[in-house]
Amino acid sequence: MKKRMIRVLLVALVVVLAAPLLVAAAAPTVGETYRTFLGFDSRISIWLIAEIHLMFGAFVLGVPIFAVTIEIIGWKTKDPRYDRLAYEFTQLLGGAFSFTALLGGLLTFALFGLFPKFMEFLSGIFHDVMYLYAGLFFLESTTFYIYYYFWDSMANRKGLHIVLGILLNVWGTVIMMVANSWAAYMMSPVGLDKETGQFVGTVWQAVNNPLWTPLNIHRFLGNVAFGGLICGGYAAIRYLGAKTQEERAHYDWMGYVGNFSAMCGLIPLPFAGYYLGREVYSASAVMGNNMMGGAFSWTFIIQAILIGGLFIGSNYYLWIGMHRIPGAERYTRYIKFIEVVLLLCFAIWLTPHNLPLSAEEQIAVGGQYHPTLKYLGLMSGKNAVVNLIILLTFASFLLYRRANLGDGVAFSQQPAKSRVVLFGVAGLVILIMAWYAKSLLSLDPASLDLSGETAKYFVLPAALLIIQIAAVLVTAILTLWNRGKLAQLVYVGVTAVDATFILGVYGYVIMAVANPFLRNVAVTQWLILMSAIIWVTTIDVFLFKGAPQLGEMSWGKMPVRSQYTLIAVCVFIVMLIGLMGFIRSGLREDWHIYAILQDSSEGSWTPDNALMAKVVSACVLIFLGAISFLFWLTGAGGKKTETAAPSSPEFSVTPK
Amino acid sequence: MQSAFLKATVFTVGLCAIYIYIGEVITEISGGAKTAATAAGVSPEAGEAIFWGKGKCHTCHSLGSRGSAIRGPNLGVDGARFPLPIGLRAEERAKEMSQKSGKPITAADYLVQTHHDPGAYVVEGYKNEMPAAWKAPIKLKPEEVLAVDLYLQSQGGEPKVEALASSQYYIQMKKAAESQKGAPAETFRPYLKGDPEKGKALFFDPESKAPCAKCHMVGDQGGKVGPELTNVSGTRDLPYVIESILEPSAQIASGFEPFLIVTKDGEFVNGVKKAEDDQSVTLADNEGQQRKVPKAKIEKMVQQKKSIMPDNFRELLTMEEFHDLLAYLETLK
Repeated sequence: MKKRMIRVLLVALVVVLAAPLLVAAAAPTVGETYRTFLGFDSRISIWLIAEIHLMFGAFVLGVPIFAVTIEIIGWKTKDPRYDRLAYEFTQLLGGAFSFTALLGGLLTFALFGLFPKFMEFLSGIFHDVMYLYAGLFFLESTTFYIYYYFWDSMANRKGLHIVLGILLNVWGTVIMMVANSWAAYMMSPVGLDKETGQFVGTVWQAVNNPLWTPLNIHRFLGNVAFGGLICGGYAAIRYLGAKTQEERAHYDWMGYVGNFSAMCGLIPLPFAGYYLGREVYSASAVMGNNMMGGAFSWTFIIQAILIGGLFIGSNYYLWIGMHRIPGAERYTRYIKFIEVVLLLCFAIWLTPHNLPLSAEEQIAVGGQYHPTLKYLGLMSGKNAVVNLIILLTFASFLLYRRANLGDGVAFSQQPAKSRVVLFGVAGLVILIMAWYAKSLLSLDPASLDLSGETAKYFVLPAALLIIQIAAVLVTAILTLWNRGKLAQLVYVGVTAVDATFILGVYGYVIMAVANPFLRNVAVTQWLILMSAIIWVTTIDVFLFKGAPQLGEMSWGKMPVRSQYTLIAVCVFIVMLIGLMGFIRSGLREDWHIYAILQDSSEGSWTPDNALMAKVVSACVLIFLGAISFLFWLTGAGGKKTETAAPSSPEFSVTPK
Repeated sequence: MQSAFLKATVFTVGLCAIYIYIGEVITEISGGAKTAATAAGVSPEAGEAIFWGKGKCHTCHSLGSRGSAIRGPNLGVDGARFPLPIGLRAEERAKEMSQKSGKPITAADYLVQTHHDPGAYVVEGYKNEMPAAWKAPIKLKPEEVLAVDLYLQSQGGEPKVEALASSQYYIQMKKAAESQKGAPAETFRPYLKGDPEKGKALFFDPESKAPCAKCHMVGDQGGKVGPELTNVSGTRDLPYVIESILEPSAQIASGFEPFLIVTKDGEFVNGVKKAEDDQSVTLADNEGQQRKVPKAKIEKMVQQKKSIMPDNFRELLTMEEFHDLLAYLETLK
């Protein structure tokens, strides 16, 4: 198996390293701008190849992030199951690297063959970076060999092995960033002479284009969630096919770990998405408007459905999982309320901005837009509910975390260093909010093209940040008085009121009178919410320090529907990656390089959502089929990786 | 294990099917596939199509209660802040700008300038971020910008294409757009490569969404209500053919003018005149049916400006179907 893997990897490496040379040989024929892909439509062909390549790219980045994180947890907790799980997934990487590289080679050839003029332009700017890309792939593959093949022999030097795993992730992340620079440059080109269209900037300017950093962050977090959910999907299938209780317990635990890891990526993902969207708007107002209020506004409704599915699915899985936790019955009654509010939030998120109505419908509604519901389609309403969804998911996770735990050691009886950490975190949270409140109060309206009198609208968000600071202080005191649970409740409540309700409604006022300031309102909401996640988690850690477990976890007793939920969220995230790829690429409309190099091919029109759904579904099925093949090929979870029964009494649902 | 994998596969395929269904439904309700092309020519109607379509104006501007965008000023009547529609507001603004600059600026100048140089006048409370629509990435042709201006002028004002076209800003824009091209305008080409066979099937199938053969003859097949199309692409260029499909009333072929007959019984008969003698007039309707009306029964006969050819192919046909039909017509040389 290992020799075969090496051979496949070497072929892949040759393809990647040879690509730039072959690319040079494939210089476009003068006068020939576009070709077809073996007689097939060039746009659909390139779309399929690029998207499946990107999905594999996400996989080979997401899986090592997941694997090394799990390995670290195993190392720290001394629980061998984590180590085995990390190994199982690392096994997949050899084949996945080969698939990724082969698809990358095919994509390169197809791009140069089908869109020579465009690639001539892009390689004219990035050709040095392209060699770097190939070199990085070489480094990544080499690091992978050492990391994978020396897994057992470095068992006694786990720290060093983990460093290799981290290095593997560093190379993977840098490779992603390099590829992102090209994709981002196509959307927000810089360093060009506007008159002649010639590139006059530096390569670094081109790499560090305005959308590069937000795209990197968004994709990185997306890949973290992706890795976890792929793990969850795999575990679910194994769970459903398990023959023994031991196997079921193992794959139940694996599914839980995958879902937990995915939630860590999912929770901050909407913020990264907002940041990316904001920068898209800053790079081009036309592109930004087209994204949320134009041709893609309905595509974002589909995106909301998928993200809704992800959050509700992950929460649902957590809630089902509470039945296997002794002590969870104390909290299950709250779940239905969380569920109702979550569904309401998604209903608001799904409300479209533009709703085409017939004449009869308009008469029935009383105008082109419903007098009340039309507001829910606007950005302010959506921002508010996204914040609430994340806060509720966080609350849901807190309930899950404490489900199996009794009361911990009272804070007043904990060592002095606990107070130092508590006030250290409080200080940090306060400092960040105070800094932003100050910057809001000193913000010059002219910098947003607003008149001087609009400065009064900057006061409320700043005041809410100050209220949050006061809430941090009050809840810190409550925690000192051993009232940690009350402190958490107070802070979550204040956050919900400030970030969701007050700023949610205030956003509409701002949209009407000082629209450019709305982004600052969104940042304020984000800061308040992040402060809640950091601060309440900190209190939680001390609240349950040394808390006894209320019983043994019943791993392997999850109902079948829970496993289908895991498979569904796995499919949702692959669909979401496909959909976001469509949006990112489609936003350029009929431009290869936005506003610089026009696409005059037959495929320069923007596909509708029906076509998008078909192509993305094809990508999803091909990708998941290929991944299943890899699982089968590498024999993950086979005899070699079988582990001891995971229902050891010392295991805690709380990640240690 | 195999059974679990199979079940998971069926489940995944089912999810993909639901996803495709959602894509179809959303496309249907948003009218995504039914935007075959925009109206042609310089007219308020063409301007309206561009405003709500390829010009992307609607992504920032509402027009009274139409649209929900608020990033840019509402161009219709909107409460106390915008009591006048843009056609009338332009006159107020032109006066204001004339007073400030000391130079005569007309309402037409103001409207054209908002697209030629959007930063020249920024409405209080809004960011100076409007792109020049004739430049990349929107890159409307100067004539398309003119159509939008005409549409805006028609909002409360009287649309005057001459006033807009003679504005110094329009002349500057046109000159700059020409120099940007650096080459003669590209030959018009369709958005998609259609399938002529599918187009032919549409054309001749009486049950299709575009049963053109009911009225138009190709070779020895089809009706004779409308012009014969056997050599249409040999004698007409593609933009003309597109306009004839999407805007049949824009130019009515000579000899195919529609007439309306009002009989003494109060009946209305509409159609293309196919024959006339001392005794009667024969009209053919858009279903290909002919009706002979005795002259003695005719109260009034008036020539119509609106073609009897259906003008809703934009809504009826998908982008693909429209281009299939076009591909077939292109073969008729």
